[in-house]
This record gives sequence, C-alpha cells and structure tokens, in this order.
Amino acid sequence: MAERGGERRGERGGFGRGFGRGGRGDRGGRRGGRRGPRQEEEKWVPVTKLGRLVKENKFTKIEEIYLHSLPVKEHQIVETLLPGLKDEVMKITPVQKQTRAGQRTRFKAFVVVGDGDGHVGLGVKCAKEVATAIRGAIILAKLSVVPVRRGYWGNKIGQPHTVPCKVTGKCGSVTVRMVPAPRGSGIVAARVPKKVLQFAGIEDVFTSSRGSTKTLGNFVKATFDCLMKTYGFLTPEFWRETKFSKTPFQEFTDLLAKPTKGLMLEAPTETVEA
Amino acid sequence: MAEEVHLGLPGPWATDYREKADHYTTKIGGVPDWPTGDMGIKPETLQCSLCGTKLCLVAQVHAPVAKLNIEERIIYVLRVQKCHNVKQTEGDGDGLGQLDEPSTTVPEEQNDKTRSPDINDDDFDLDTLAEALEQAATLASNSKKKNKSKHTAPVKRPVLKEKAGDQSIPVLPCFYIYYDKELHGVKGTVGSSSSEFVLKKEIMDTANDEEEKWEGEKYEYDKAIGADRTFLKFKKRLDAYPHQCFRYSYGGKPLRAAMKLQDAGTCRLCGSPRQFELQLMSPLSYFLHEAGHGSSNYAPSSWTWLTVIIYTCSKSCCPSSCGGKAQSCCWGVVEEMILMQEDEAL
Repeated sequence: MAERGGERRGERGGFGRGFGRGGRGDRGGRRGGRRGPRQEEEKWVPVTKLGRLVKENKFTKIEEIYLHSLPVKEHQIVETLLPGLKDEVMKITPVQKQTRAGQRTRFKAFVVVGDGDGHVGLGVKCAKEVATAIRGAIILAKLSVVPVRRGYWGNKIGQPHTVPCKVTGKCGSVTVRMVPAPRGSGIVAARVPKKVLQFAGIEDVFTSSRGSTKTLGNFVKATFDCLMKTYGFLTPEFWRETKFSKTPFQEFTDLLAKPTKGLMLEAPTETVEA
Repeated sequence: MAEEVHLGLPGPWATDYREKADHYTTKIGGVPDWPTGDMGIKPETLQCSLCGTKLCLVAQVHAPVAKLNIEERIIYVLRVQKCHNVKQTEGDGDGLGQLDEPSTTVPEEQNDKTRSPDINDDDFDLDTLAEALEQAATLASNSKKKNKSKHTAPVKRPVLKEKAGDQSIPVLPCFYIYYDKELHGVKGTVGSSSSEFVLKKEIMDTANDEEEKWEGEKYEYDKAIGADRTFLKFKKRLDAYPHQCFRYSYGGKPLRAAMKLQDAGTCRLCGSPRQFELQLMSPLSYFLHEAGHGSSNYAPSSWTWLTVIIYTCSKSCCPSSCGGKAQSCCWGVVEEMILMQEDEAL
C-alpha cells in the first residue's frame, strides 16, 4: 500500500492544526510536523449531523435540541452545550456471572451528571475494570441528559424551586413520587435519590417511595424517570397554540439532505418555566 | 475472530485539488488516477445514470489482494453531486433526488408552509438510490502470477496525458491517506495493577460502610436515550481513532452504525458472493466539509451518511478476457456494491 511520502503542506496546513480559514478562530497556532494519530484525541470529530452543527456553534443552548426532539448520539454535544456539567460516581458494585470456569466478576458503575440548574443525566455501565466502567458510565450519563422542569409551591416569587406538580416515576418495583414543597423544606428524600435531585437543581421537594427500594439501582432510575416526566406533564401554561419553528436541519440548509422532513408537527414545545 | 482492520488516517493535503498522483496512491477527493491513459471505460460508467452528470471522486484506494496474488488493484468510489433530473415539486413525494440537493436550491426547501405535511416517503428506497447515485469501480489486472514486471511497463506516467475534458469533472478537496492498524480491545492495563487494586478496594470499603447495600444488581447492557447499542459500539470504535477516514478489512465484517444492513448479494459477472472490503467513515465527510468551506462548490455539506460500506466480488473477477495471452495485461473495470447507513435523526 503505497502512500504519498514527504510533508506536503499546502496553505491549509496539516491535520494537527485543524481546518478552515475563516470564522471559527481558535484553532491555535500549532505548527509542527505531521501529527501522529494519537495526538488528535483532544479534538472532537463529529460523527452525526447534529454533532457537526453543534461543533460549528449553531446552537447556543441545549434547549434548542430538546425542542425538536433530536436524538443526541454523541456525548461531546452535551459537553459543548453544557460546560458546567459535574459528574459523580454514586456506586460501583460488582456483578457476577456464573461460568463453567467459575465466577466472572464485572463492575457496574452508576454515575450521575448535572449542572444543578435543570439538567441531569444518569448513566449505568458494566465493564471488566472499574476505570472503564466509570468512564463508560460518564459518557452514557451525558448522553441521557434531560431537562427538569421546576415550579412553585405557592406564590410565584423568585426563581422556581420545586417540582411543578406531583409526579411519579417507576422502575422495576420501585415507584417514587415527588410532591411540591414550600421554600425552605429542602429535599426530603433518601440519601441516594437526594443526590440525583441535588444535581437536577431542585431545592425543595417531598418524596415518597414504594416497592423494594433496597434495589438502589432501580430506586435511582425511578427517581430519574420521575424527573424526566416533569416536562411531560401538560399544565395550563402550555395551552397556548404551539408556534412551530424550523428544525435546525432546515434552518441550516447547507447541511440539509432530505427536504421533505418538513415541520415536526409532534415536537413538544419547551416553554419558559413558570 | 480478530481480523486485522486497517484504518485510513488523514495525511497531508494536496496543494492543488486537481493534481495528479499515480494509481498506487490512496487518497480522498481530487481527480481519479487511472492506471493507463485510456482505460476503455465507457463514459456511462463515469456518469450518473439518472441525469448524466459527471461523477466526482470521493476515494481512491490502492487495494492489492495478497491471497489472490493480485497486485494491481484499485478501488474508486465516485459520487454524483447534484442530480439535475429529479425535480423538487411541491407536494410531490418523489424521493429520488433528495440526497444530493445542495445548498443552491435553498428556496424550495424553505417553502414548507405550502407543502402538505403528509408527504409520504414510503417510496424512498435507499438502496436503489445508493446504487443509482454511487458507483464503485474495481480495477483488476489480469497478470496474476508471472508477468508482474511486464505489467508495470505500460504504467509509466499517465499523468502527462490527460484528456482535455478533464476540467469539467467536479472535484472534492483532496488529501492523502496513510495507514495504521487498529488496536482494539486490550488497551491500557490488562488485569489490575497495584494502583487500580487499591482503588477498587477503597471503593468497596466505602460501599460497605454505608448502611445501604445495592442489592440484586445484574449485568446491564448499555442504554442511552438517543442511541441504540449498535451505534454506541460504533461510536466507541470511532472514539478510539477519532480521525479515521475509512476502514479496510478484506473479507472482514463491517462496523455497523445501525442494525439493519441489506444483503450484499452476488457479483454480477461471476455470481460469487460479495464480501465486505472497505467502509468510509463519517470523519471523512467532516474533513471534506471543513475544507470546502466557501471554496469549492462541491463541498459535501449535505452528506448525511454515517458510514458507506463497500462490498466487492470475493473472487475479484475481471470482466475482460485476455484470451490466454499471459503477456498482455489489461485493466478491467467492474462495478461493485455500496450500502449506505444514514443518520436517522433526519
């Protein structure tokens, strides 16, 4: 397999320096020889169309992606749009499988990510090594970041601080119910779901749970499911007719492929929180 | 099961997108380098069967097959940029030309208020589209065993003799490729080193201190809201080598981006089954898109595929018969099969 020898560098430069001559600026002035394949790890090469749009800074907020219900397939999208995302490993537990040659142990990591201001994600990953499991779980958690709707218990003074209504989430046999609480109550929940609610940015809430909450994996997932439902609940603020806007794929038509994907009539709207 | 996969990683850019190389070069974009001046290629092969626009080169891969003793073999992946024939009529559900509508036809796409929202895409058949719009040509030489040296004689420097009509061929930004083997699977520490052992122990200890025990956990497959397991695995391999432009594995298994993959079928000439050889990956379209910003008209900004999988005849058959004359070698051109896997978000 022959290859073109030598350093042929046009004015566009080698790959290590990045492409493009206009606009997006900050490629750095890294001049140098041809980069080895390992050194480009810090630079994200988007795979999906949405990733390309995000990389070009066509989105300012992640809410624009939620508005059109676009599936987020690359975790770097979330990292770019939510730079203040923090993560925490909730638990690493060994899971075992019986094989002919004895038991095979793998590690299951639970990671929760959130910015404390309305976005939270939960990731679960099993792997043979702890570090791999943690890394994988962080990526999965970022992929599953959802918006959390907050509301008021009574007077609409100040910022929203609690869930907008009673919601309930279920996973396995565990159901978690969240009830709006007055300001100053704090998060009234067990230790484990309390962490998820803190990452979500909910300040006050009453919770009640049912089922085998000893299975904390299910407990945590039920809490997350409950938070996902806060924006699924139709309240009078949403009664106003939706004003449909163009999907980003239409708006940025230079990346458009199939024009018959017109208006997304079923897109749920993300209105400003009450 | 561990087949070797070679990755095509990006190398230097070409100074001029239309510059010539030789047919041993592996490159992306640019003009195709035919091994001899006149290949006897019928002009229809290099044109879109629907509208007659000339195809432009996406990738040229020098792909000798050691097992079948074929040294001179090149794969060309060509694409039509704009399909003029298929009109964009309002309310019409004709799906054929949509893949290549470039940004210059913006007015039609923005006008969706008048279009009825229930356009059915049911007759949009992806593989006929793929076959109609993209063609790959495999060139195989006939000189299998003895006359390799004889064969290289005619292949001197075809670069000097170019057809006058060359300038009309659309051209994508061009860069060259170097190869690397993919190291997959065992990376980093195998088994626990002492530091990792300590980390594990710490985590276990903190766990046992708390009053809750996470009970009843079983192995769980990866799950994400927007992506399925196949795509997650695809992305994982991509993240290991984020700049890979294509993956080459003769007879291996392609890395799928989605579960569904049509059957490759059999070779049109000899009837032997087709096998996977090469797949183009999304960083390729990203690099071309970045390079084409504002300069070339043929920038692939509307490409939406995640991966393009190329199947070739497993016997690597040659259409032309050299009639027993082992000395003379001729180049044969065969059209192979391409399957695209799209980004379904659209």
